[in-house]
Amino acid sequence: MTTSVNNNSGGDQPQGSGNAQLARRRFLQKLGLMGAVAASYTLLEVQAKTAASSDKRWGLFIDTSKCSSGCDACVRGCNEEHGIDAGKDEHTRAQWIRKIDLTDNLTGAESSVPVMCQHCDSAPCVDVCPTGASFKRADGVVLVNKHTCIGCRYCMMACPYKARSFIHENLTDQKPSAPRGKGTVESCTLCVHRIDSDQNQQPACAVSCTDEAHSAIVFGDLNDPDSDISKKLKTVGGSQIRADLSLNTGVRYHGL
Amino acid sequence: MSLRLNLALLILPAALLLVMPGYADDNGPVIPPATYGDQCVADTDIMRKEHMSLLNHQRDETVIEGIRGEPFSLVSCVNCHAQNDNGGQPIRIDAKGQFCESCHTYAAVKIDCFTCHAALPEENAVIGSLQNNLPVASTYSNKQLLVMQSHKVAHKASHDYQRK
Repeated sequence: MTTSVNNNSGGDQPQGSGNAQLARRRFLQKLGLMGAVAASYTLLEVQAKTAASSDKRWGLFIDTSKCSSGCDACVRGCNEEHGIDAGKDEHTRAQWIRKIDLTDNLTGAESSVPVMCQHCDSAPCVDVCPTGASFKRADGVVLVNKHTCIGCRYCMMACPYKARSFIHENLTDQKPSAPRGKGTVESCTLCVHRIDSDQNQQPACAVSCTDEAHSAIVFGDLNDPDSDISKKLKTVGGSQIRADLSLNTGVRYHGL
Repeated sequence: MSLRLNLALLILPAALLLVMPGYADDNGPVIPPATYGDQCVADTDIMRKEHMSLLNHQRDETVIEGIRGEPFSLVSCVNCHAQNDNGGQPIRIDAKGQFCESCHTYAAVKIDCFTCHAALPEENAVIGSLQNNLPVASTYSNKQLLVMQSHKVAHKASHDYQRK
């Protein structure tokens, strides 16, 4: 820059370099201003949106001693929330939660548990999906991105919990917060539409269970040692279904 | 030869007259106005051309990253643009003559959204979602701004080209 000024202005060196310095100063000032604007924009943006973060890991704690055999409040709550028609053909209807009655062959002890997607840390459905539609969010929620799902049902084969359903027929009257459609696989979403918009919201199954005065389902952040779910797990303990598979499930059962 | 030329001169304007009314009547699709609000989340020309880009960007953010309450949501489109029938009941936005259908039929583009997504507005959610959707610059993501910016640049470029 200095050389070009020298060449152009010949002997008038001091004034030329002064102009150049002034131009450079102005340029730098403008650059700084642009940077400040860009920075404030990014700041605003960060404040405006909250993405799912790996600081949290959402999970469910299910107390089987509080869950009663004849009750299906959680299933009904889930169906209502997501617009699932339970009256459809039992072979093809969607089931996000199934109530399972268990009897211990040795002792005859009976228990009843809701089984839904276990939101595994190392989820087999995510491993096998050929399109990446089956995925795990940063906060541990395992979902199907129905925009990329091709309906191959490989994930249904891979899931040890039989947690996923395929939609065989055209659906109508879907809920605005729960888009569902023919040709895609779906399963429990831990009610992401509720928990994303308000951190104090609970999944529909947990709310229904509490409304029924059972309070067998506790929802919360497994990463937070002060959350209800972590305290429960610490005091009474909880086991995984098929713990031998080492999937590190997000749904834990007490009393199985 | 001259007879043939005369004939051709007669037939050509006649043929044009036959074809012209089709164009003369064609003022584009009749798009019903929004039921709620008087301002969309972006300018009309941007929305007309880029709504799918904006929806798709936000769709990925919402589904994969869990970012909610952003301006370009399909639910918000339906909330504001779905019409009510004479009895005050909402009409599906993809029904004949409705907001999405009218333009898509004209442009011969199939709408694939509403086989899975609700075509009716949320219950009692119109006012709340409207407030969330007021176009404040900070609520747009970089990608969305980029789409809008590129549209403006492209629009200006084509405009300049036409003027030349």
